[in-house]
Amino acid sequence: MSFAHHIKAEWHLITQSKWLKALLFGIPILLAVLMWAVFSKGIASDLPVGVVDHDNSVISRGLVRAYDATPSLQIKVHFNSTKAASVALTEGSIYAYVIIPEGLERNTLLGKSPQVTAFYNSQFILIGKLVSSALMGAHSFYVAQLDTLKDLIDSHGQLNEAIAEAVPIAYQITPLFNANSHYGQFLVAAVIPAMWQILIIATLVIVVAAPMRADQGNRWLVDLNMTTLIKRLSLYLIIFWLQGITFVSVFYGVLHWPMHGSWLLLIIGQFLFVLACAGVATLLFFITVDVTRAMSLVAGLTAPAFAFMGVTFPSTDMPFIAQLWRSLLPISHYISIQIQQVNYATSLTASVSHYLALIAFLGCFYVTKVILIKRQKTLKAQPLNSLVESSPNDTTRPD
Amino acid sequence: MHWKTLLNYELRSIFSNIPLLVTVFGGVFIYSFLYPLPYINQTPTKQNIAIINLDNSPISRKIERMVNATPQVNISEQQFTIDQAKASLIKGDISGFLLIPENFYKNLLLKKSPHLVFAGNAAYFLVYGTIIEGLVRSASTVVAEVKVSKMVMSGENIALAASQYTPISLNLKPTFNPSLGYINYIVPAVFVLILHQTLLIAAGLLTAGQFEQKRPQQRPTKSNKHYWLFFPAWQILLVRSVIMLSMYLLLSCYYFGFSFEYYGISKNANMVALLRLTVPFLLSVIFLGIIIGLLIPRKELATLIVLLLSLPLVFCAGFIWPTTNIPSVINSVAQLFPSTPAINGFLRLNQMGDSFDNLINIRQHLWLLAVCYGLLSIHLMAIKQKKLLKPHV
Repeated sequence: MSFAHHIKAEWHLITQSKWLKALLFGIPILLAVLMWAVFSKGIASDLPVGVVDHDNSVISRGLVRAYDATPSLQIKVHFNSTKAASVALTEGSIYAYVIIPEGLERNTLLGKSPQVTAFYNSQFILIGKLVSSALMGAHSFYVAQLDTLKDLIDSHGQLNEAIAEAVPIAYQITPLFNANSHYGQFLVAAVIPAMWQILIIATLVIVVAAPMRADQGNRWLVDLNMTTLIKRLSLYLIIFWLQGITFVSVFYGVLHWPMHGSWLLLIIGQFLFVLACAGVATLLFFITVDVTRAMSLVAGLTAPAFAFMGVTFPSTDMPFIAQLWRSLLPISHYISIQIQQVNYATSLTASVSHYLALIAFLGCFYVTKVILIKRQKTLKAQPLNSLVESSPNDTTRPD
Repeated sequence: MHWKTLLNYELRSIFSNIPLLVTVFGGVFIYSFLYPLPYINQTPTKQNIAIINLDNSPISRKIERMVNATPQVNISEQQFTIDQAKASLIKGDISGFLLIPENFYKNLLLKKSPHLVFAGNAAYFLVYGTIIEGLVRSASTVVAEVKVSKMVMSGENIALAASQYTPISLNLKPTFNPSLGYINYIVPAVFVLILHQTLLIAAGLLTAGQFEQKRPQQRPTKSNKHYWLFFPAWQILLVRSVIMLSMYLLLSCYYFGFSFEYYGISKNANMVALLRLTVPFLLSVIFLGIIIGLLIPRKELATLIVLLLSLPLVFCAGFIWPTTNIPSVINSVAQLFPSTPAINGFLRLNQMGDSFDNLINIRQHLWLLAVCYGLLSIHLMAIKQKKLLKPHV
């Protein structure tokens, strides 16, 4: 059969199956929009925080206003007792509470350096870190103001000197490659490729298995050869590649997320990634020659992939076995390419190892071929009628 | 129709369904070791940074030493310009750098508030946070020392100066996960999701496997081959849910007991309270799985649908991204999945030590889901049975 013929046949298959249509066109868009919407606020803002103010003075109210003024925090509740605040923290209605001791103003004026205590929920590490650094920042800002005011009296009105006295060393913190610490760009740009991998591998398993549903016996398996299979898959590879190109163009083009590197290198990386996924999908299917079992393997391989990508938790801090498992997932190599291009504009020579790793996944096709030939040999050794009976799948022909 | 016969049939179809058994027992067991694997080291430490020291004074060298002494960062190289540091950052040798500008010491003495520049790779949030935390901590120690020594120079008592360098101090106390370990953060939440997902797949696979056929080739007889068409739907569902519930109670014991012990995760809840939260959770998941199984045309789609739901469910559960920042429509839809209230409930009960009585909303939520999904699955299964038993035309 000619190449064009294969593409036509597959297109016909897609239009016939509403599940394939959904997997190729509807679901990817739905999932991408969903994840974008979840993180659409970008920067966590107005996280609810409680206050127990035992002092209720000008300084304590000023301090509370300073906490409230940071965009990340919102002073939501004033509690009468520490106990009530602690209950609210456990309930999850607030992420932190601040206890201002009695005599705060008096002790501050007397130079006794009173202590304000803040309890923050560190069970949710990422949110906890945001809250604690926002509290710290607001606190030091307010305290520096107080200090400057006090020093202004000592320095007889020299403002610069008073500030220097209060803040002898200042620091400037620069988040490189993600200038506004945008959480959306950080997570969405990694979550979507992770879901893309699941979609590609799972859909291709269904596609590879499609002839099996139409044929009751193992006839199709005996007749199958790898070249036809790869020709059949080519249409899907193009569709998935287009999906990849679409999401990067929407994020880094339409939404204007910063993109520093080469579009060409990124898109080539995407193509190799789709090919690598196709290799994994065919291998998983021909290990089992059963869609349901192959799908279990797909789930086992791809569901925890996000944890191994090294975006939330650095891969350099993972133990050796985790790094080994990580390297067996196509997505870990693709995400490195994406981060390198988007953030650092790495040259091809510097990131060539990730491209080679993706190409190495093409070895899956070779292993599949070996498995397939072996299976065909055992099938051919059996008489044809027992072939039909030994079918692993007893589903009926659709009517 | 005998309960005992039905129980036998059900047990046989569950324990002869290889993909189901692989998902349930293999999945739960393998994930219990695989999922925490990346986080075994708990916190990222010793992140490599470069130092660009343009001042080379006693105080700038002191800052260098103090930065290197923090557990968070490790000075791995010296650079002379920002560009050099950036280049080695892109190569991946370092994840951040510290710049001490020229005349730093001089400006400090001249009371000109010199600036230290901290930079970290914000493309990786946790790495960035770790580096900045280490740098800010060591810098504030230096600031405190400078202030104290100034106060002593101007005649203040040293003990007094040491406690008075700041007008109001802030004591930040991490609560519930004091070590800020990543395993204690991810594992308790994700393990609930693993139970949720594998059980959804199991219930979906079993049910879809029985009802996926559009019509049996021959008119089904009352043999055990098609028992699911002849017993009343409520009876099948009752037996099925009891069997799966018992299986998953055992697996929950393995997770909440052995695994949490193995990874040193806090277990504040008592057994009875944990059980009373686990039962409605598992029941609602079983019935939801059965509904999925009844709605799909082929059984492999059960695994596929559940697989595609995993990541959205993780991010809607509220432990990674604050629920208050998630659009309310998405948040409401997420409440339809038992994992959302359950993750919240288990974390509060077992990790944060909330009292069982405070969880009344979550328990009601889960029981409501269990009852609604239970009734819906009876209804759907009865319809399917009728359709499949209709005489051939």
